[in-house]
Amino acid sequence: MKIVIVDYGMGNINSIVGALKYVGAKEISVSSDFNQLKKADKIILPGVGSFGKAMEQITLKSLDAYLKELVLEQHVPILGICLGMQLLGVSSTEDGSNYGLGFINGNITKFDNLKVKVPHVGFNQVVANRDSLLYEGLPDISDFYFTHSYRMTTHENINQSICHYQDQFVASFEMGHIAGTQFHPELSQTNGLKLLKNFIEKL
Amino acid sequence: MLRKRIIFTLIYSDGFFNQSRNFRLQSVGNLGWLEKNYKFQEIAFALDELVVLNASRKEKNMADFAGMIRKLVDDVFIPVAAGGGISSMDDAEVLFQSGADKIVLNSALHQNPILIRNLVKKYGSQSIVGSIDYRKSEGNYEVYINDGNYKLDLYLEEYLEKVITLDIGEIYLNSMDKDGTGFGFDHEVLERIKEIVTLPLIIAGGAGNENHLMAALKLDAISAVATANLFNFIGDGLPKARKKILESGENIANWTDNVF
Repeated sequence: MKIVIVDYGMGNINSIVGALKYVGAKEISVSSDFNQLKKADKIILPGVGSFGKAMEQITLKSLDAYLKELVLEQHVPILGICLGMQLLGVSSTEDGSNYGLGFINGNITKFDNLKVKVPHVGFNQVVANRDSLLYEGLPDISDFYFTHSYRMTTHENINQSICHYQDQFVASFEMGHIAGTQFHPELSQTNGLKLLKNFIEKL
Repeated sequence: MLRKRIIFTLIYSDGFFNQSRNFRLQSVGNLGWLEKNYKFQEIAFALDELVVLNASRKEKNMADFAGMIRKLVDDVFIPVAAGGGISSMDDAEVLFQSGADKIVLNSALHQNPILIRNLVKKYGSQSIVGSIDYRKSEGNYEVYINDGNYKLDLYLEEYLEKVITLDIGEIYLNSMDKDGTGFGFDHEVLERIKEIVTLPLIIAGGAGNENHLMAALKLDAISAVATANLFNFIGDGLPKARKKILESGENIANWTDNVF
């Protein structure tokens, strides 16, 4: 099994590589090259930084087109992490107004710093959607590490698992082979390692 | 519910980890010593986050520091924040590339706010921790930069108000008076600043045992507690402390034993 972590020049990818290796992934590459991406059995879309800048990089490297072909047409499983999950959504209000990849129906808006401390940082409890394979073997409520100022909400059923901060928001979703976590599984101790293992083995 | 965090801070200087007391450094051991006495991969499972600070009083060598970070974070699946002497975008990039998830800035908050703004723009607020060292003097809280060597002309309250406008993600507030004493955290200062700090607040300086951590975790104003005390939590001190705190019902994260 080959896992390709999409590299578009944003964020610390080392910890994702380390965590994937720890749970048994043998072949991991970090690339933005279509020839590499084509060989992927699983794709991870990471991301730290701002939505607008990330989409700019993604478009610049034609990654939007590659990902659409591989994920939407060829059904290669993908896991978006943090900003990477948000990019799979429809739009974000970060950096003005920006369109995402639109693979799932979710919109990104900022937490209100009059109501809660922003960013939302630390471990928070996620209520697992029991239809989500990512949470197999984990309890109904588990702690995961978040660090973000924007969050996804949706009116649709995208098989989401929920976290509560200010209001309910999408902590993760799993629509068949398209999944994302707002939290960082690679920084979430054994809970996150278990979830990554599930992504590798079950999605 | 958002959990509170327990953070361990490592004070690094020119190849060695240090015990700091009121900002005087005592060299304790190198990375080999740390691995032997702290078995970091295991200890990390008792921590929410790790902070690593380059406190070298000489010219800080970013390449050496980054190299150490790279070795340290192998198989550590918690957020790592690194800093000390970051004075350019390149310095920051080196640390992120070496495995840091966040960077910590102190003197630059005062000396180079433009750098801070550019870092926020590139890496996002949540990647930037602002570290502030302060000392109490005649009822006022004075702010120091450059490893505690240079006193600023404004008090902590005003400084915090200014720093918060830089749109950083967190504040790491370190009491130089309490630093390394093991006498407990400075709870008093919080009364003065809790209304001002609208960001997640990490307090550091003074933790000597798990009761100190627990007492501070109970405070509303606090998001996280940090200890840099290499002596008081040696061996399995940290896992034991965490277990005790968890059993007391404190609001901290809990992790599965069942990965494989």
